[in-house]
Amino acid sequence: MSLVPVTKVLIANRGEIAVRVIRACRDMGIATVAVFSDCDRAARHVRMADEAYPIGPNPPRESYLKIDTLIAVAKASGADAVHPGYGFLAENEDFSRACRDAGLTFIGPSPEAIELMGSKTAARQAAIAAGVPVVPGTATPLGAEVSDADVLEIARGVGYPLMLKAVAGGGGKGMRVVATPEELPGALRAARSEAGSAFGDSAVYVERRIMRPRHIEVQLLADHHGTVVPFVERECSIQRRHQKVIEESPSLAVSPELRRRITSAAASVARQVGYTNAGTIECLLDEDGAFYFLEMNTRLQVEHPVTEQVSGVDLVQWQIRIARGEPLTIDPEAALTPKAHAIECRIYAEDPDNNFLPSPGRIVKLQAPQGPGVRDDSGATEGLEVPIFYDPMISKLITWGDDRPQALARMRRALREYEVHGIRTTIPFFTWALDDPDFVAGRFDTSFIDRKLAERAGVPFDQPSADDETAAAVTAALHLVLRAPAVTTAPAAAPESRWRQQARAEALR
Amino acid sequence: MQYTLVIGGRTRRVHLERQGDAFRVTVDQQAFDVHAAEVDGRALSLLVGSTAAQGEGRSVPAVVVPGRMPGELQVAVHGRTLPVQLVPDERSRRRGGGPGDATGPQRIIAPMPGKVVRVLVAPGDEVQPKQGLVVVEAMKMENELRAARAGRVVSVSVVEGQSVDAGAVLAVVE
Repeated sequence: MSLVPVTKVLIANRGEIAVRVIRACRDMGIATVAVFSDCDRAARHVRMADEAYPIGPNPPRESYLKIDTLIAVAKASGADAVHPGYGFLAENEDFSRACRDAGLTFIGPSPEAIELMGSKTAARQAAIAAGVPVVPGTATPLGAEVSDADVLEIARGVGYPLMLKAVAGGGGKGMRVVATPEELPGALRAARSEAGSAFGDSAVYVERRIMRPRHIEVQLLADHHGTVVPFVERECSIQRRHQKVIEESPSLAVSPELRRRITSAAASVARQVGYTNAGTIECLLDEDGAFYFLEMNTRLQVEHPVTEQVSGVDLVQWQIRIARGEPLTIDPEAALTPKAHAIECRIYAEDPDNNFLPSPGRIVKLQAPQGPGVRDDSGATEGLEVPIFYDPMISKLITWGDDRPQALARMRRALREYEVHGIRTTIPFFTWALDDPDFVAGRFDTSFIDRKLAERAGVPFDQPSADDETAAAVTAALHLVLRAPAVTTAPAAAPESRWRQQARAEALR
Repeated sequence: MQYTLVIGGRTRRVHLERQGDAFRVTVDQQAFDVHAAEVDGRALSLLVGSTAAQGEGRSVPAVVVPGRMPGELQVAVHGRTLPVQLVPDERSRRRGGGPGDATGPQRIIAPMPGKVVRVLVAPGDEVQPKQGLVVVEAMKMENELRAARAGRVVSVSVVEGQSVDAGAVLAVVE
């Protein structure tokens, strides 16, 4: 069998995922090409790559989303493959197709698979064809031409409460909960308008609302020889406003028997659409243990390290090997046997005490945690700004252990060790969430965080005690004494400076 | 040495007596014996004991970085960050300008890692607002760091040709 050459990879991304892909390439002896917008000139991914090229101004539309520029840079640099990371162009079939047309190996699924699974209604039909349960609802898009009366009729068949969701959707945009028929026309208008402005497609579909669901997803790898390997499920129910913030694996809600059923269903969906490379099947799990196909993400996911720590498999390396045409040699039984319990916290440059508003700025000091069972996947650099143009995630902190309590204990320890100064981060929020008795007991669903945050009613996460205030007073005063008349670093002047410092201190008393 | 600080809306008076690296620090009425060691200009290790003779005790890892407002420090102790506002004493208040003036000594800080290409002032020099003090080169650009307001240079902590980290104090003007 002849393999497709992958000797130099252009990474069409930035931040931690660009760093992650560079690391996998380096482990495999593959050269790397980074790209950067103006503000990312000195970013970590640029400094780590073998080569780096500018692709334009800071707004993503003018740089990281410019397909023709990226293809031109790939060709000019002599790259033979492109990794899209996640976000940006990762699920854009035009980009996957443009790579193929330019003779570049796209490290990801085919444009056909991206296009098919990118339509929520087409993906539902694929799941139904594979014999996988879907949330009861409409199988076809409801565009603007479908009248309110027709939608009401469809809704009656589905049952209330229900969800209106954007066909082209994601990230909670164009999504509405509808409790009664009276609410439907208004919600339909709002969902269509939101979907239209967010995705350029105002079509929505109707789904029954599953009460108190957990978000369970199945990572899988699929090669070009028909082999599909699903992995132990990930639990991603800890979401803030439909965005995952904590992920873990395995799920406390999934028994080995349910794991068999849900992972084999996920593999069936992938086979049904001839899927290749890394992908994730997302499901809802209801209170009675029934699961429903939700959607497929046709890319590497943010939370992939959780699966890597549970399985011991390097998913990014396998993405490259699959793109080369290598057959999967992972033991499917081993892939479904957890070797550890792992958890991830997505650390954002956001101020949890100011309604999670982005907190861009210069990171003046950065010290990531280390030690047993800790992994920090970060794209941040001390001394550099967190740009305002992109996702404010600065790091994914992953810990693992023999069991969940050990993984959680290590996460608490790692969060405590994590030092980020100059910007606000969501670390205090995670410290709080990890101590919540319901979280510790595994009693949660996708509404958990929003409900718990509402209960807090704005009590600050960072609540210094009286002792902390006194310690801060002591520290500030000592800092002023030791630093304010700055300690001279030029050796010859040092003794005089010390002396003068002392003299001045005396004079100020 | 005496400082007036505002922390969490409360005014704290801090008095220090120094013996080498050992300090007797009094916050309002509470006295602590503290041994202080600098780590890198931002990080400090404090050992807080009950008596000076002990010389060691409870370990308090601390980090101090400049705040966004003049005279503000962001002080992290045990991982919690607290803004600390420095209140100028009577002397510096008299010397200062109008009520809108920023207060406290001006610490001229390297905004990014770079190399000092020129030092334009020496300790003792009187400087005018916007007068250039130190030129730092970073990313092939020269940045002239200037005084925010009038004052006297009390120290210059770098020499030409020296590499500096982001956040390093280059000079202090009072």
